[in-house]
Amino acid sequence: MNAFFKYLFIQFKMELRDKGTLLNFYLVPLVFFFVMGSVFSSINPFMKTTLAASMTIYAITMGAVMGAPTPIIKMRESGTMRAFKVNGIPGIAVLSVHAISTFLHLLLVSAIIYIVSPLAYGSEVPKNQVLYFVVLIVFLAVNIGIGMFIGAAAKGQSFATMFSMIIFLPSLLLSGIMFPASMLPKSFLWLGRIFPATHALQSFYGLAYKTKTDLNAMFCLFVLIVMAAMMFVLAVWRFSSIRKNEQM
Amino acid sequence: MSDSVVLVKGLVKRYGSYTAVKGIDFEVARGRVFGLLGPNGAGKTTTLECLEGLRKSDGGSMSIAGCDPQLNKRGLRRKLGVQLQSSSLPGSMKVSEAIELICAWQGVSLRQDLIEKFNIGDLLKKQYSQLSTGQKRRLHLVLALINTPEVLVLDEPTAGLDVGSRAQLHEEIRSIKKQGITVLLATHDMSEAEELCDNIAILINGRIAVHGSPEQVTSAGNSDTRIRLRTSKGLLLPGGDIDGATFVNVKDGYLEWKSCDAAATVTEILKQVKVFGDRVEDLRVERPSLEERFLELMEGEKK
Repeated sequence: MNAFFKYLFIQFKMELRDKGTLLNFYLVPLVFFFVMGSVFSSINPFMKTTLAASMTIYAITMGAVMGAPTPIIKMRESGTMRAFKVNGIPGIAVLSVHAISTFLHLLLVSAIIYIVSPLAYGSEVPKNQVLYFVVLIVFLAVNIGIGMFIGAAAKGQSFATMFSMIIFLPSLLLSGIMFPASMLPKSFLWLGRIFPATHALQSFYGLAYKTKTDLNAMFCLFVLIVMAAMMFVLAVWRFSSIRKNEQM
Repeated sequence: MSDSVVLVKGLVKRYGSYTAVKGIDFEVARGRVFGLLGPNGAGKTTTLECLEGLRKSDGGSMSIAGCDPQLNKRGLRRKLGVQLQSSSLPGSMKVSEAIELICAWQGVSLRQDLIEKFNIGDLLKKQYSQLSTGQKRRLHLVLALINTPEVLVLDEPTAGLDVGSRAQLHEEIRSIKKQGITVLLATHDMSEAEELCDNIAILINGRIAVHGSPEQVTSAGNSDTRIRLRTSKGLLLPGGDIDGATFVNVKDGYLEWKSCDAAATVTEILKQVKVFGDRVEDLRVERPSLEERFLELMEGEKK
């Protein structure tokens, strides 16, 4: 256990030193937050009130889906997994440490957004803060699960980027975080419900901000929990099978 | 060999319908350096990866310091140190972090002696991406030795290194051997094998074509020993064949023969020099190299 925590600590420090990780986990989401915060506060008063939720969804999707797969693919391709394995570090520990470390980084970014939103842009503080963080943690788990799955399943970096974009762009456009989902054509509205971002936004609105929602907020939270469990099972399964094939 | 720490019997490894390793056998005694040589695709790395527990074999049995690599991976990790042919660490990981991490997972305390011996004290604060190829190899060697293994596997340890780094690494391998650690070395480099190995096996197309000490392997071939002679007067000897030796040519004042029995040929040459009243200025006996023997085996395989 001591070795696991040592690895986690080193991984966290390494990611703070790594420019790519800083860009995906911190810089891009926070710059986007500051820009969109100013835009939303002036053009859409309703979006302004729930700015923290929208921007948290963006930051987590960006960090976990776009950023998290890259280091796993790099480790697979460069022979780091094999070097770790022959030195006694099991592959599942590598995957777990990456997942937890990503969780910590994105929780930190989410906390910054949560604190800065009301102070800088006058957004509303959630009425139920506990449920806000419950939704946040479950949404983090789903997205990290997706990131780990892409990292384990993609054959290379270009495939991973493609998979990530397939999740990231519709999450941004169809979930309602940029503009109300009710403005979308019906087919896109339904398509958007495949993505966890839609369910996260509905859960934030209904459970944390106590506003009217298109979907049952509690049901959306349940969907997120099921998605999180599914993605982690898929990621571990995929990772185990590539470890056998790639002899990591 | 009674004190064998590495035992391989009838090892078979297939990739789909292709058989990469076709039932090889070898043993390595404690404290010896054993070289696996062969061309690309001969099965060297596959054999080592089966021994390292990274690949599952399809037949035969293996034992490393009493551990079956397929069944007792935890035990294997305690007894085996491995430097892979292509391995890496995260670019932003510091050398000190890599050492700490592996120590923690191997359950051993930090070995200051290794840091000093392999001269990586100055590199501890550097990130992996900032190291040169030679420094990376040294670091991987330190990581492989952290758990004080009984057996050390080195897969192409000097590939891509400059002459100085290569010589330094050879010195380090010799000192590892002195500590009683058994070394399994896979290499393309014949001179490296001749220099470092007590025993070698040449793998060709998944089979051991020949094995033994480097001297035994070279002397078992058909290549002849070259004998070159320069005398002070340079007038003697007809420059013809001698019993068991064929005259090749005269070059730079040297007469040259190819002999299948070097001792008999040299005796005969010296006798003739005396008969002609001449005096030997320089006499060179050049045994066939491992590389020549290797090429001969490759040629035989093509036929």
